[in-house]
Amino acid sequence: MRKHHMPEMKEAGVNVTPLIDVVMCLIIFFILVAKIGVSTGLDKTIDAPTTYLGVPITDLGNALALNLYPKAGADEPQILVDLKGERQKELKLQDNKGGKLVHPLREVLQDLKKERGAKFKVIINADKGMRYAQLQLVLQACAEAGVSSVNFATKPQSKLVPA
Amino acid sequence: MKIKGAKAVHYDSGPNMTPLVDVVMVILIFLMLTGSFGAAAHFLPSSMPISMKGKGQIDPTKIPKVPDPQLEIFVASKTSTDYVARLADGVQYLNGVAPSGKTLVQALTEKRVAHEGLGKSADTLQVVLCPRLSTQYDHLMQVYQAAMTAKCPKIGFQSAKD
Repeated sequence: MRKHHMPEMKEAGVNVTPLIDVVMCLIIFFILVAKIGVSTGLDKTIDAPTTYLGVPITDLGNALALNLYPKAGADEPQILVDLKGERQKELKLQDNKGGKLVHPLREVLQDLKKERGAKFKVIINADKGMRYAQLQLVLQACAEAGVSSVNFATKPQSKLVPA
Repeated sequence: MKIKGAKAVHYDSGPNMTPLVDVVMVILIFLMLTGSFGAAAHFLPSSMPISMKGKGQIDPTKIPKVPDPQLEIFVASKTSTDYVARLADGVQYLNGVAPSGKTLVQALTEKRVAHEGLGKSADTLQVVLCPRLSTQYDHLMQVYQAAMTAKCPKIGFQSAKD
């Protein structure tokens, strides 16, 4: 009688190909979802006030961040914005162009408000020590431009239980 | 002479996938953690324009009209760390606390509840912050926050002249 030999057993090991497929899919998903390097236009070096209340703004595409810096010896603050691909562009509250008084900040806000409608919002990012004398000029410009949604950038603080 | 016990060589073993899996796992963990960053900033929203009934120099034709304020809070900075908020009833709140121990949040909450008790909704109670020109932004935001904590939905600002 012929002997039937069992075939040689080879070490199979774990097939990692499907694992790599799944992991690659997850990586692609997180690359698309994660907001890495997305600029909000806010200057993080500004020491904003600290509050325990606040809401995250998810619709930053319809928001214009105004970074305010106090100007020594001047009533109005320096305003820097990220606008149309140009980073830290200075916008003045008012300027003299060829003998004519213009209001660049107000005009920009009006144009954006017209373009984006009611969803348009302004984010004010200023140092906590800034005086209201300078801040109110920016708020007035927003009001004159018809911007009704003005938000104030603050730093989160650990939640205190209000009395 | 054939050496007994030598293992047969597998020429079809392919590349070693273990380092690749290690690197991929590290990248994946990095992306999972990075996705939660960048949410450190948050915002205090305001949906009211600046009031035209102020002492500042505003062209009244250019400011949208708002009804007369119903709840004014006067805010002044005493030092760089201390501020005083005063309601129309004259009670002063130093850093948000009155001499009686009552907080500004409690006082505003009472006003809001009293307003709602008249059958009116909270969004018809307009809180207007009246700072001075020298009032610090930080102190203004603390009072703003107190109004938000008291669940007053409409908070605006009055222009200042002094």
